[in-house]
Amino acid sequence: MECTVPECKQRQPTELGRKLSRLRPLVQTGFLGVWLAPLGQWLHGIPGCVFHCYSCPLSAFGCPVGIAANYAALLPVTLEVPYLLLGVLLLVGALGGSIVCGWACPFGFLQDLLGRVTTRKIALPGWAGHFRFVVLVGLVLLLPAVLGFKGIPFDDQVVSICRLCPAGALEAGIPYSLQSLLAGNGWLMSGFKTGLLIAFFGAALFIHRPWCRIFCPLGGFLSLCNRFSLFHLRFNPKECVECNLCRTRCQLGVKVDQKVNVSGCIRCLECATCGALEPCFAFPKNDATRPRKEPSAS
Amino acid sequence: MLRKRVPQPPVDPARRDLERHDFWPGFIAAIIGAVLLFCGARHLTGVDTVEGSTASEAQLTKAFSAGGLQYADQTPPPAPPRLDDSAAAAEALDRWARQTANAAPPTWKVRVDTGAKKACPT
Repeated sequence: MECTVPECKQRQPTELGRKLSRLRPLVQTGFLGVWLAPLGQWLHGIPGCVFHCYSCPLSAFGCPVGIAANYAALLPVTLEVPYLLLGVLLLVGALGGSIVCGWACPFGFLQDLLGRVTTRKIALPGWAGHFRFVVLVGLVLLLPAVLGFKGIPFDDQVVSICRLCPAGALEAGIPYSLQSLLAGNGWLMSGFKTGLLIAFFGAALFIHRPWCRIFCPLGGFLSLCNRFSLFHLRFNPKECVECNLCRTRCQLGVKVDQKVNVSGCIRCLECATCGALEPCFAFPKNDATRPRKEPSAS
Repeated sequence: MLRKRVPQPPVDPARRDLERHDFWPGFIAAIIGAVLLFCGARHLTGVDTVEGSTASEAQLTKAFSAGGLQYADQTPPPAPPRLDDSAAAAEALDRWARQTANAAPPTWKVRVDTGAKKACPT
């Protein structure tokens, strides 16, 4: 199907869009300094808001997914509510929705870098994103609790999110396995987990952000906040010339030309390059939103 | 960077939802999150520490990443006395066996070892 809109071929990204595109990798790199234990401060008692394994020798904060699974496994022994975890995730989600996925998550950044390798990318169906909620409910909450009721502590559970997690394999499994190998004790990480890591790298070369789009339980939770978060994307019909630049720029396959604040969005703001989708904050006055000041399109 | 343009489906911009977010739902959710965060920072859990005090939520959370959780049914019994350096070894061994047999089960089910530093619990 050829696009018949006359402006379609001529429409160029706005200056704001260009700036955001250039800025995002720099912000992602800057956030590595936050997550990777700056000044040697390990704050594992505080849950982070990004997907980063707490067993990584450089991790600064606790992994929210691992913490949730541990709390679920503790359920048969003691009923504890993870206030810190819920507070961090709800606060971050309410302020920016899944913007941390697009701008701060180190594992997402890694997938962005892998996605830059020139290969033929595979498009995923939209329903694939719902599997994140299956992982969240099934693997992070239900399975640890069920095995916990059988008397198996989380660390001894053979099947768990931590044993299947590619971030754990990369950030903890690889360093400790290399350390073990150098000490002459062989490769520490199981063959299964090593295979999972290789499969993840392979998938990330051919699918843009495969973990985020199909499996990430944290992204699934945060994306639910996209529907009411203070920071959001607003559609400006006056700027829309139906060029579909917004949808062309979206690498996650979200139909942003129809609805943009949806659960499949990681708020990378690439779609804002067209000018019709404006990043903005909700303000209390007249219950509306004020768009950011935007320089004129170049 | 321009990619191959995705053809435009029939969408009428004038009729499309503007997707304006109200302030209050997001604000209330953020306030609830901040309150939970504050409560969590001050919250003492129902789990004891090895030292005998009550573990804070941060200590419990930290224990997850450091292998600091101890389960009662996994705690090994005390080691038997060494038998090679004393004439009274048999008596000591007998005393140890009686103590082990009569030892009451621990009153805790799980506790936190705040000093644990296991690199990778899983």
